[in-house]
Amino acid sequence: MTLWYLLLLPLIGAGSIFVLRAKAAKWIAIATSSLVFVLSIVMAIQFSQWGTSATGLVSHYSWLNTLGITLDLGADSVAMMLVLLTTLLTPLCVLGSFSAITSRKREYYAWLLILETAMLGVFTAQDLILFYVSFELTLVPMFFLIAIYGGKNRAHASIKFFIYTFTGSLFTLAGFVYVAWKYKVASNGGWSFAIHDLTTFAATLSPTEQGWILLALLAGFAVKIPVFPVHTWLPLAHTEAPTAGSVILAGVLLKLGTFGVYRFVLPMVPEALVVYAPAIAVLAIIGILYAALICWVQDDVKKLIAYSSVSHLGFCVLGLIALNPIALEGAVLYMINHGLSTGALFFLIGMMYERYHTRDMNAIGGLAKKMPVWSFFMVFFVLASVGLPGLNGFVSEFMCLIGTFISSSSNPTWPGVLGPEYAAIAAIGMVLAAMYLLIMVGKVVFGSLKEPEQHEPHQTLPTDLSLREIGVLIPLALLCVWIGVKPIVLTDAMQDSVEEVLSPFPRIVQQQEQAPAKLIDIKDEQHG
Amino acid sequence: MTSLLQFIPNILAMPAVPVSQVVQSETLGWASFILWLPLISLALCGLCAVCKVKTKAPAIITTICLGTSFVLTVLLWQGYEQPVIIHLFDWLQVHWAEGSFVANFALYIDSLTLLWMLFVTGLGTLISLYASEYMEHDVGKGYTRFFAGVSVFLFAMTCLVMGDNLLLLYLGWEGVGFASYWLIGYFYQKPSAVAAAKKAFIVNRIGDVGLALAIYLIWSTFGTVQYDGIATALASHQYETSFGDWTVHAIPYLLMIAAFGKSAQLPLYVWLPDAMEGPTPVSALIHAATMVTAGVYLIIRTYPLFMLDSHALETVAWVGGLTAFFAATIGMAQYDIKRIMAYSTISQLGYMFLGLGVLSSFGAAYHVFTHAFFKAVLFLTCGAIMHGFAGQLDLRRLSGLRKMKGWKIVSYTMLVGCLALAGFPLTSGFFSKDVILAEAFVTQGAGFKFLGWLAIFTAGLTAYYTFRVWFRVCCGPVQYEPGDELHGGDETSFHPHAPRFAINFVLVVIALGAILAALPYFMPNETDGLHGGWIAEMVNDSPASAGVPGAVVDSHAVHDSGHTGDSGDETHHGDILGMDPHKAMYFISAVVGFIGIAFALYFHLFRRKAADTLRSKLLSRRTTRWLPTAMEHKWYVDEIYIALIRSPLWILGKLFSMIDRYIIDGALVNGISSLPRAAAKWFSPLHNGAVQSYAVSMIGGAILIVLLMLFMPEIVEFLQSISQQGGEHTIASLGGAQ
Repeated sequence: MTLWYLLLLPLIGAGSIFVLRAKAAKWIAIATSSLVFVLSIVMAIQFSQWGTSATGLVSHYSWLNTLGITLDLGADSVAMMLVLLTTLLTPLCVLGSFSAITSRKREYYAWLLILETAMLGVFTAQDLILFYVSFELTLVPMFFLIAIYGGKNRAHASIKFFIYTFTGSLFTLAGFVYVAWKYKVASNGGWSFAIHDLTTFAATLSPTEQGWILLALLAGFAVKIPVFPVHTWLPLAHTEAPTAGSVILAGVLLKLGTFGVYRFVLPMVPEALVVYAPAIAVLAIIGILYAALICWVQDDVKKLIAYSSVSHLGFCVLGLIALNPIALEGAVLYMINHGLSTGALFFLIGMMYERYHTRDMNAIGGLAKKMPVWSFFMVFFVLASVGLPGLNGFVSEFMCLIGTFISSSSNPTWPGVLGPEYAAIAAIGMVLAAMYLLIMVGKVVFGSLKEPEQHEPHQTLPTDLSLREIGVLIPLALLCVWIGVKPIVLTDAMQDSVEEVLSPFPRIVQQQEQAPAKLIDIKDEQHG
Repeated sequence: MTSLLQFIPNILAMPAVPVSQVVQSETLGWASFILWLPLISLALCGLCAVCKVKTKAPAIITTICLGTSFVLTVLLWQGYEQPVIIHLFDWLQVHWAEGSFVANFALYIDSLTLLWMLFVTGLGTLISLYASEYMEHDVGKGYTRFFAGVSVFLFAMTCLVMGDNLLLLYLGWEGVGFASYWLIGYFYQKPSAVAAAKKAFIVNRIGDVGLALAIYLIWSTFGTVQYDGIATALASHQYETSFGDWTVHAIPYLLMIAAFGKSAQLPLYVWLPDAMEGPTPVSALIHAATMVTAGVYLIIRTYPLFMLDSHALETVAWVGGLTAFFAATIGMAQYDIKRIMAYSTISQLGYMFLGLGVLSSFGAAYHVFTHAFFKAVLFLTCGAIMHGFAGQLDLRRLSGLRKMKGWKIVSYTMLVGCLALAGFPLTSGFFSKDVILAEAFVTQGAGFKFLGWLAIFTAGLTAYYTFRVWFRVCCGPVQYEPGDELHGGDETSFHPHAPRFAINFVLVVIALGAILAALPYFMPNETDGLHGGWIAEMVNDSPASAGVPGAVVDSHAVHDSGHTGDSGDETHHGDILGMDPHKAMYFISAVVGFIGIAFALYFHLFRRKAADTLRSKLLSRRTTRWLPTAMEHKWYVDEIYIALIRSPLWILGKLFSMIDRYIIDGALVNGISSLPRAAAKWFSPLHNGAVQSYAVSMIGGAILIVLLMLFMPEIVEFLQSISQQGGEHTIASLGGAQ
């Protein structure tokens, strides 16, 4: 039952915000989200499934029996880590919004809390329908956060965000429903939407069917991640979203896509994935290099960081489809690390924007002189993002790349379908990342002080960061260091889950190697 | 060339370090404090920054911490018996049934580690003491930031040198790059400093990618990234080339990219001259004595891997030799004394790589050791001058320093450094350079003889540009102009302020070190048959013992290969003008050095006008004009890079940005999304913008989905019946394998 508390508490908080006075909204929000965070920590301590592949904290609740829809919750170690990331980022987002949100406070904090419930639902759902509903439910609060509290172009951005990702995930739903229907036919019985049943079943389908399902699932997840070339909603949504929206978007919502690949694509359609992985990898690598070069010519800091997400998540996708433990563990770590460091970068840009009302690198510069504390954190998180060893980004990037590197069919233990050439080309992204991020730091943080004309100090905020703002950044910074120094704690905890997911692949890759299957070869299927 | 090829299998057959000797040490845990002390110093500096300390406390803290580190290193060296591994904590580990990736925070202590650590911590301590005075005008401003940066650097450098695996080396490798970024950009309001810092980090990143790829390959080939594991695998030939044979051949070249980036060799040297934007103690410590020798360390540490490809070491030799010459020609034509020293550093690093390439890891290590001292002293004297003359570094605007009050120590310690750099007989630089030069004639390889002569010629150039500085700045009539960092008071009332105790003390100590660095070559050692004294012994107990003269690598290897060191068969011995290279080199390099100094003496002390006349004569003739112009413009390498790499990439970025906006997002996404708009007009009442109606339509959608599911069998049957009738295959395949 405990997971239900996690999901329901934010909803209760959101409800009470509407009942109570507007002034109390932020305090309720911070209290609720902190409580959820504490609760999730307690759960993480009690969580018995660290280091195993099993699902813990399971709770059953049957809902629509005739349709086989249940409200089952549960989490394995990977999901638990993402739950912790979510419950950590939400209170920080609330805390970080105190000074930025001045009107319509109630709705704002209520939407943030509802968003938390939705995100937690995605990570803990054990039922496909519950997963899908949560997956789509994340769109609604985010839509309103952008549409009401966003920048000048917020209407366009929010609608584009909503329709783009919604359209994508309709295909995902189609894929899910198809699998569920096939399951019903095969089992001669009622419906079941239990993720466990459906994934084990889907893996037995023919390669052709798996191919279609893969495409359907990826249509939704790839948009969410986002993979080149379906990424264009992201820079727009990020630039227009309020700070907390950007943080959640980069920190957690993008991870819904990668988590979807981990939870569904890998176990459901292994045979198709083995065939499609090189193509996906090529898209990921194009994304890494293409987005990195675009970052270089951006003037808007926030847009730069948004494009850098596209580039960074390319590494994560490579890790997901390299099909060996080191890469997949790296990919999961990447989800967490990107959430921490990019989330923090969005916070920092928000803090700058609140003071200067611009994000144009040509209008602003040399802030180190005026805001040393802000500059310290900015440089710190940029380094985490660049992948400086000793900080978190390095560990995951290294694992993803080395995993991609050894992911060739000649690898005896964990044969894969990528190889050294993929890793070598993707590694160019490391140089480009250093390039665009340091150029950005060179302009914004260093150099001679440049402020927008007619700049007036903020009425309530100090010149440099306030204690509240430092309090938002410090937990993230500490985690960046901790994961950089002791990644073994996390990798050990997720090792069995990851190996469980990967267990069918060595056999499938070898089969594929011996008798290459052509997917979506309709004629073949007909004759066979 | 044949010699190297024959040499290779024999080296592989014999592990450089017998593996059984490496032991896990339980009792040497205290040695980890060599690593932690700089980190403690960083933490305390951070505390100072938070408390806004306005005293010299950060300098005192850093100096004490680094000094203790040095003392611990000396103790460790005194107690050293055999290579040990000191495990600190587990860092990155992934295990599965038949393999694992293990990279722990563990220290690997062998004599090579100790050799490097001795001068890294020793010079680190001295230079932070120097900086306590040098940086004093920044007390309360950037002072804490500076010493925090020095602490970060020392921590990263100790990780790099002491780590027991390549990943920890990589941590140190990027760490020193970051420290370098931090300190080059110390004057962060100066655009040139910011640009230089950025350039250093990015160019180094290219090398880092080489190192990362090398680590991937080494791990996939040998199954481990730990030094002792690699040695074992190499010794027993237990490695697999799962991607084909090219892997083992690629490893040395990737490592080379890394080494050339960090150690500023062709074609990746461009960041080092610009790095002189940093405060001078930084240039002395990081960009002359320690960090830039990391590339040499990397190759020595992985020396056996360079035997895997028959041309790898030849490539190292060629790059080193050419860089030495190339940088020397640029150094001759510069006017900024700090930049001259920077190019001379590049040039001397070239010598070290030449040494590595001609199978003299001993010569390379020895040159690293002597260079650390004499180049540090040269930079620190430049710093003292810069400090005293308000930033003046132009050798045309400084003269006669040794006759001025308070500048005697600076002048004469600079002379010590210059003599060693020029390879004046009986100085430390003379011996270490000669080992490399002689070995170039001994070892047989593609064009090694040519490289040897080129290196001898370069030694002449080195002597010339070194003494060009000393004769210009320290000799001649007393004349000076203040630099552009003059604060308060006008130019006429400017008085240079001579260095005080801390700077002078450090200069004397390091200059003494530079003189005494000649001794290790003659100090007796305990290993039988080993030539080259203490340094040789320090290198011998490491993977690079193959490059130590007289080392017992494999007696057959020595005979078969024709590489003899000193103890081998004289008939196979290479020669220079019919003489034994080791003996002849003393005379040849001495003569070349004297000629270089003589030229400098004429042009820059006796007839200073003559140098200008020569320059203007060269410039006035169309056929020779290119020479001084190109040399003064550093052969236009920066411009070539901008034209060939930076600009095309930037244009590509702009192009992609356009494509993203107008094609992918514009034409495709918005285009497709506008298609349903026509259809949507039918449903336009649903899209009235009110939240309630969105909610209604969502619920409606949900109901639709549920209905769809309930009637799915019927729908599919219906679709299948259509498809069978129509003979269409597409939908049938959706229906599956029925």
